[in-house]
Amino acid sequence: MTARDLHPGAWWLWALGLAAAASFTLNPVVLLLICAVASLVVMARRTDAPWALSFRFYVYFAVLVVVMRVLYRIVLGGGASATDVVLLRLPEIPLPEAARGITLLGDVTQQALLGGFYDGLRLGTLIICIGAANALANPKRLLKSVPPAFYEIGTAVVVALTLFPQLAESVQRVNRARRLRGSPRRGVGVLRRIAVPVLEDALERSLTLAAGMDARGYGRAGSATPAERLRTGALMIAALCVMCVGVYAYLDGTAPRYLAVPALVSALVLAAVGLWSAGRRVQRTRYRPDRWRAADLLTAACGIAVAIGIDRAYDVDPYAVMPYLDRWPEVPWWVVLIALVGVVPALLTPPPVPDVPAPADHRDDREVSRAGAA
Amino acid sequence: MSILRKPPVGRAPAHHTPAHHSPALPLRPRSAIVLTIASLAGLAMFAWPLLLQPEPGVSRVDQPFLFMALLPIVVAVVVAELTEGGLDSKSLAVLGVLTAVNAALRPLGAGTAGVELTFFLLILAGRVFGAGFGFALGCTSLFASALLTSGVGPWLPFQMLCAAWVGMGAGLLPCRPRGRAEIAMLVAYGVVAAYLYGFLMNLMSWPFQLGIATPGAEGGLQMVPGDPLFENLHRFVVFTLVTSTWGWDTGRALTTAVCLLVLGPALLTTLRRAVRRVHHAASIGRTT
Repeated sequence: MTARDLHPGAWWLWALGLAAAASFTLNPVVLLLICAVASLVVMARRTDAPWALSFRFYVYFAVLVVVMRVLYRIVLGGGASATDVVLLRLPEIPLPEAARGITLLGDVTQQALLGGFYDGLRLGTLIICIGAANALANPKRLLKSVPPAFYEIGTAVVVALTLFPQLAESVQRVNRARRLRGSPRRGVGVLRRIAVPVLEDALERSLTLAAGMDARGYGRAGSATPAERLRTGALMIAALCVMCVGVYAYLDGTAPRYLAVPALVSALVLAAVGLWSAGRRVQRTRYRPDRWRAADLLTAACGIAVAIGIDRAYDVDPYAVMPYLDRWPEVPWWVVLIALVGVVPALLTPPPVPDVPAPADHRDDREVSRAGAA
Repeated sequence: MSILRKPPVGRAPAHHTPAHHSPALPLRPRSAIVLTIASLAGLAMFAWPLLLQPEPGVSRVDQPFLFMALLPIVVAVVVAELTEGGLDSKSLAVLGVLTAVNAALRPLGAGTAGVELTFFLLILAGRVFGAGFGFALGCTSLFASALLTSGVGPWLPFQMLCAAWVGMGAGLLPCRPRGRAEIAMLVAYGVVAAYLYGFLMNLMSWPFQLGIATPGAEGGLQMVPGDPLFENLHRFVVFTLVTSTWGWDTGRALTTAVCLLVLGPALLTTLRRAVRRVHHAASIGRTT
């Protein structure tokens, strides 16, 4: 296969699918399997770009979450009932009157510890999945392929990301000028003498940038008629109202069930139509758009398949997904197979294009003007 | 060159353009309605541990991971609505530049005892450019800094919405006070906002950090589904006091207050001058 970068959206769908699957289960074996699958694909398909090297921080953070979670269980108590197996007896520290009924420390039971560990592992797996998406998907290309409704805000973020390195240079320049003027080194005034010129500089630069964007035809108004805009607004307001109802019904178990998930799904549909309608006013073409090809579709499908598989597994064998807390968790072979579907992208997708560093300033200039002209 | 100019200190000149006359991102009535409903939905997703009433007969309640997928949609709809009329190039450039500054400020403080440098510029910009701009800046700042420092995670949409509320609230403060009174008002708002931000983020993540109590195993600081609102609120307040209020939230409030006091007057002048320039350029664009 020739090397090419997959569509960033494909990696995000794959990772969100794995994350959703992790959120459906508490089985530690399945969760660790999902972590392993995500890590393996990251190792196989990441580039040397800076965002790709951040994966280890997500792993550290996930480990920290699990440790904190178990520590919280020990220190703040909870999750134990009278019949549980006590592993460790610690002295109880009663809190003052204001926190009546709550004690710190106390007996540590196996059920409380395992419950905390499984729950923390689930959150940690979620974090690792998102970290995998972050490591695999190029954020700049993702911003390029945002839906047209977010054209302006996406451009603002691209501008911010591109100007970011120049701020350090601006701070250095201002600081040098301040030292040349012989202004004192100490005191709060220094902060002000640096912050104000840097902000002035940045705002000045923004007006230059705006002029450049105007010259490239950014300010072209769309062709939405008042009726179309009214429809867009109505769709968005309707979507949010339905979502309010859906969230309320989802949280209140006594509300009729047809108000919960169906309402949330219809809110999503309304929002999608509203965003599509809002995006129609933006008329622009994309420079070399990212296309969805077979490998991209396969990657996204693998993630979604894992999510659906684990969700359905609960109906077949609830204890494979939500294990007992007083014995070893059981793992049927077919659940392992479902989780392993997520590893397919590591084998069947083309390898990424090796990162060839271009001269930084040229690339930045090009991207700013492209952001404006796109 | 601006760096050679003597930095303006002190009060804003008397002839400045009031902020509400030329906000960079005007808040139309329709946007205000969308913002209100979206804030309601968002607030329900933050406060779900207090609102949750499980179905009768259900023994085990899970955290609603669904909200991690829904909240981005809410934020997306609001942002799309705010920029629906199109965003002129100057506002967009100012938004991009302030986002870059905020994204650069965030990692400077993150991780060290709650030092949080994002808020003061967000509050100042929301004050000068208006509520809609403050909302957008809150979203873009946190999003861009998450992209830059690889902080994208399930918590990101919640942080974005919270920061957006902080920026929007700064734009909704009464516009009358100027000079010292204005700084005092902004500092007070900054302290309240810093504590509320920590409170809301904690409230959302409380059941994720501690887990949810199962029937027969209550008695810690865990959320107990279906308990009366005040019982859960009480547990949560104890949890947040024990874990984060004294360290993180107080650190955030202090940093924001000190930054607003030291840099506030000068940066307000700078930002107001930018508003006048944007306004001026726009009026020239209209007449020619």
